[in-house]
Amino acid sequence: QAPTSAPGARLSRLPLARVKALVKADPDVTLAGQEAIFILARAAELFVETIAKDAYCCAQQGKRKTLQRRDLDNAIEAVDEFAFLEGTLD
Amino acid sequence: MAERPEDLNLPNAVITRIIKEALPDGVNISKEARSAISRAASVFVLYATSCANNFAMKGKRKTLNASDVLSAMEEMEFQRFVTPLKEALEEQKKKDKDKKTDPEEQDKSRDEDNEEDEERLEEEEQNEEEEVDN
Repeated sequence: QAPTSAPGARLSRLPLARVKALVKADPDVTLAGQEAIFILARAAELFVETIAKDAYCCAQQGKRKTLQRRDLDNAIEAVDEFAFLEGTLD
Repeated sequence: MAERPEDLNLPNAVITRIIKEALPDGVNISKEARSAISRAASVFVLYATSCANNFAMKGKRKTLNASDVLSAMEEMEFQRFVTPLKEALEEQKKKDKDKKTDPEEQDKSRDEDNEEDEERLEEEEQNEEEEVDN
């Protein structure tokens, strides 16, 4: 399902300074424009939404109402787009 | 203070809120799961940055721009993010346009604390000491 993009609907915002700190951590990056930082922050928000929803599908199969770490691990294994996360969360 | 990049976590409060908004009412999330999602988001930004940087370098540019990030999203197989991201960018541009025509807003935007108006990354550290959420 497509992530929500209704204007004004999203109040949760990741602080740009934190995103900038992550971008700075890459030694190969020289400079990043303001718009790039903004889009990265926004993309990270969409990513959190997406992975939370996918992990929830796993929890639903266990009929639980609380998302557990293992639901996340299952989602990472099951979804190709999350392959880049393998081995990074421990 | 050498930290691994993945330790640069995003604020727990915001991450938790985004997760809750994404899930149906009454669904909870364990601390471990929340923390793992937060770390995943950091890894995502790092990976996207690296991907985007490749596009910038291909274009012989030293500055990452918005289209580099969008290209990175497609490369990472998150094409479904591209449209909402473009919309968000348009919205932001409109807001910035409005800000620029209002002289009062212009003064605000010179304020160093206003993160959204920060320009490029400086190579020297700016005074941006923020409290790290642990």
